[in-house]
Amino acid sequence: MEERLYDLIFICRPDTPEEEITKLVATLEQTATERGGKVEKVEKWGTRKLAYRVHKHREGFYIYLVLRATQGEMIKELERRLKVADPVIKYLTVRLDEELKRQQKFVRRRERKAARRPRKSAGTGEQVAAAS
Amino acid sequence: MAEEPRQHSPAPPGVRREGPPGGPRRGKRQYFRKKKVCRFCVERVDFIDYKKVEMLQPFVQDRGKILPRRMTGTCSRHQRWLGEAIKRARNIALLPFATEL
Repeated sequence: MEERLYDLIFICRPDTPEEEITKLVATLEQTATERGGKVEKVEKWGTRKLAYRVHKHREGFYIYLVLRATQGEMIKELERRLKVADPVIKYLTVRLDEELKRQQKFVRRRERKAARRPRKSAGTGEQVAAAS
Repeated sequence: MAEEPRQHSPAPPGVRREGPPGGPRRGKRQYFRKKKVCRFCVERVDFIDYKKVEMLQPFVQDRGKILPRRMTGTCSRHQRWLGEAIKRARNIALLPFATEL
C-alpha cells in the first residue's frame, strides 16, 4: 500500500487555553494512529494575525501537522473531528506525496543532466565562447 | 539577404519594451514589460510552499490580486504553481482574498 503524505493546518480561536489545544492535538493523533496513520510533526505557530475576519476573529492560533497515512479515510475522519470541534475556526488539508514525487523527478533529472556533462559551477561560459 | 527598407514604427510587437504606440497595440501601454527571467527558474525551485507568505507576497498586489505573469516575469509552469499556492494560502487566511484600498 502506498503511503500518503499530508499537511494539515488548522486555526483555533485565539483565546483558547493552551491545554485545550494540547488535548485537541492529542485526540487527533490518537484518531490518526487508530486508522493506521502516523503523525510526523506537530508545530504550534502561535497566534497570528489573520488576513481576513474568520468567525468574527481577527487573529488565530495556528497549528500545523504533518501526517502519513495508508488510507484516505483517516483524513476524512480527522476533518470531521475538526469541523465539530468548537475552538477550531478553519482547517486545510493538503496532499503532498504527488507533489514530492514531482519534486524528486526534477531533482533526479537535474542530477542526471549534471552528471552527463562536466559542469563547472560558473556555468557554461567557456562553451559559449568557443561556439562564437 | 536583401535589406528591406526600414520604417520608423516597428511593425511586429516583440519582446522589447514599447512606449505608447500608434500602431500595433492601440491603447495598451506595454507589451512584455520585463526581460527578466523567472525568479523561480533561476533558483531552481521545485515546490512553491503555500505556507511561506514571504515568498508569495511579492507576487500579490496591494489589493490582494495575483499579479499577471507579464508583470513578474514568471514562467508559465511556476505561475501555475504560484497561483495554486496563493489560493491555498488565501484559504487558510495567510493571504487575503481582497483588500479595500
